[in-house]
Amino acid sequence: MQKPPVLLAVLGVFAALVAILPLGYLVLRLFEGFEAAIAELARARTLELLLNTVLLVTSVSLSALAIGVFQAWFVVRTNLRFPGFFAILATVPLAIPSYVLALGYASVFPWFSGFWASWLVLSVATAPYVFLAVSAALMRVDVASEEVGRSLGFGRFKVFLKITWPQVRTSATAAVLLVSLYVLSEFGAIALLRFDTFTRAIYNAYRSSFDRTAAASLAVVLVFLTLIILFFARRYRGDYLSQRAANPRRLRAELGPNRVPVSVALLVIALFGAGIPLAALLNWSLIGSSSTDFEKLIMATLNSAGIAASAAVLVSVFALAVAIWTVRHRSKFAATIEGLLWSNHALPAIVVGLALVFFGANITPWLYQSIWLLLVAYLILFLPNGLAAMATPLSQVPRSVVEVSQSMGDSYRKTLTRVVLPIASPGLIAASALVMLTVLKELPATLLLRPSGTETLATRLWSATEELAYAQAAPYALVLVIIAGLPALLLNASVRKTYSEVNQK
Amino acid sequence: MKRRFLAAALAAVSVVGLAGCAPAEDSELVIYIGRGESLVQPLIDQYISESGQDVVVRYAGSAELAAQIMEEGENSPADVFFAQDAGALGAISKAGYLETIPAEILNLVDAEYRAQDGSWMGVSGRVRVFNYDPDKVSELPTSVFDLADPIWEGRVGIAPTNSSFQAFVTAMMVVYGEDAALSWLEAMKENGVIYEKNSAILEAVETGQVDAGLINHYYWYAKGNEVGFENMNSQISAFESQDVGNLRNVAGVGILSEDPKAQDFVRFLLSEAAQQYFVDITNEYPLTAGVEPIEGLTPLSEIPAPDFDLNDLEALEKTLELIRRAGLI
Repeated sequence: MQKPPVLLAVLGVFAALVAILPLGYLVLRLFEGFEAAIAELARARTLELLLNTVLLVTSVSLSALAIGVFQAWFVVRTNLRFPGFFAILATVPLAIPSYVLALGYASVFPWFSGFWASWLVLSVATAPYVFLAVSAALMRVDVASEEVGRSLGFGRFKVFLKITWPQVRTSATAAVLLVSLYVLSEFGAIALLRFDTFTRAIYNAYRSSFDRTAAASLAVVLVFLTLIILFFARRYRGDYLSQRAANPRRLRAELGPNRVPVSVALLVIALFGAGIPLAALLNWSLIGSSSTDFEKLIMATLNSAGIAASAAVLVSVFALAVAIWTVRHRSKFAATIEGLLWSNHALPAIVVGLALVFFGANITPWLYQSIWLLLVAYLILFLPNGLAAMATPLSQVPRSVVEVSQSMGDSYRKTLTRVVLPIASPGLIAASALVMLTVLKELPATLLLRPSGTETLATRLWSATEELAYAQAAPYALVLVIIAGLPALLLNASVRKTYSEVNQK
Repeated sequence: MKRRFLAAALAAVSVVGLAGCAPAEDSELVIYIGRGESLVQPLIDQYISESGQDVVVRYAGSAELAAQIMEEGENSPADVFFAQDAGALGAISKAGYLETIPAEILNLVDAEYRAQDGSWMGVSGRVRVFNYDPDKVSELPTSVFDLADPIWEGRVGIAPTNSSFQAFVTAMMVVYGEDAALSWLEAMKENGVIYEKNSAILEAVETGQVDAGLINHYYWYAKGNEVGFENMNSQISAFESQDVGNLRNVAGVGILSEDPKAQDFVRFLLSEAAQQYFVDITNEYPLTAGVEPIEGLTPLSEIPAPDFDLNDLEALEKTLELIRRAGLI
């Protein structure tokens, strides 16, 4: 195999260094204040936070699983009318940041707060992940064994439980672990709904304590919880990513008279996941339209778009470099770098933000409170997303095409720029869009690291909700949905495309 | 083709976006503000247009900014710290980060409302009040300590991350001792409902989410001015005379850099125009002579507040520890 160009290796090593330095500094800092850290962990409050966090993660994971499997089964495996429509409907919450969902509810129901509120919002927000994974798995299910089961006289439910479910279980488990990680690192919705989990406590400890060791030690506990889930996630990751071809034949259960109630149930889920909160925000935007400060709104939109686009460019450059390195020049060193970068993928943003505040204020004051430090945070947080999204299209470029190009005497660079990248480009662009969408929605790291005077849609929304000024917050939320929703639609379109291709087979 | 356009657009947007977020330059005045943006930004805008000075503002809670200044140490980009209460200022003054304000500026306000060592000074006055829904609270508590009674369980809005609340707890701790303050806070873990800000508490009392709340007086007046006092669902009242729940406090400033433009800004905050702004727009008490508070407001000197030296609020760090120990944060 050819040696990778130096540039790729340099970018990759640099990214890995950037990714581990702040966290390393956080740990170092913790050792400096070791006694304070131990005292912090021994508090009754820490136990309370732990219980709250575990309770929320568990309950949301279970309900997201139930919702997602329900949606996927009826969309993929029954003769439901308009399955495509319902498939899109099931993924709509992906376009809405969970704190916007929370805001939507809290703005109409002032009592909407605490555990149940957080549970509801996060369940509908994360169900699409389960839906996507499980519906893809259901399409690959081996129909023949189901038929055997039926012929042996098993009922439909028993067939599902004994034959279908085991084939879907790995995908579902992987998706549920993804949901757990999501809930564990969720900050905005939980803080807005005033339920105390680690993320909110870290932010409050950071804000309300002169000795920030407290925040650092809570952050380390959160990282440990994350690692525990990651440990389990690792075991299922391989299965989750395996691409078995979709089964050409599909058994579609007859719903008969249940068609209408099932459709209604799916609609109701969508109503909770998007309808009610969006209607609420639209209503508040109209109510408050006379007093909306459009100049502020436009400035925030430009800031958000500019920052997200810059982050997308930055992350894409590094992700592409690392992806080419690891996909096309597989080596032990490259794999180590990739592993290092991947290890950050579940790191809660509030922890990264906190680590960078420490790092910036003490080690790199020239970067501190500048846009660059914020971009570094995004690089750490979203490089794994970009990497995952870019590795697939790159690895799908047929080896034979590359070999033909090289046999014609094309240089390495020419093969890369004229053959590999153009073939992979749709996937690569989708990957950049994914990163931009994710950055647009990001709240906690932005809150901690934004330059003085720079307000984004997310931070404006945040400060308005702190005052319960819903009419003021609503337009920011709507714009966020619209401009984050656009790239989301782009991505969903590709998901839908795979879906319809599979359907036509 | 389309793709190339997309890429170009992406690049263009990022250049525009980044240009708007350049880091602070030396010619800029960097102000850390621990007060609500909606309350004071118009005043900052007024200063910018009058002075022509480039100003960069960072808004956050006062305690958060105080902690941030300590974390930043000598690297702090802040020139001025405009805090919501005297405690946050006292704390960073104690840590040695504040320059002495020239006497000619200091003397514009009463000695009662500024630091003994001249490191910070108040620019506007405010009072803690008991905000309540008359339909749900028939018998007013005589002391803020009464709120620790189990009959108040889940009924009182508080904002433990807000520095005005923290200052009041500091006063309680200084006057009655740590144990008394801690057991009051522990009771509020049960009786209190936690919000981020005073304005959120008022909103919650107005909409019936909680029966009562502890806030600063001017939030109620601002709401009254906005919707009409006759349309207010909630009332405010004071506790008995000398009760720590009636604490009188100031929003104030401290100077962190030797740059003369920092002093210039402080001078502006004590100008007649700015003092009048605090009266008319934020419904606070002016602190310089010659500007009168709004009608109907009990004069600051006649508030049944405890005799309390605002310099003692510097024990903020201890207060934060207590609040955290009680599990409120």
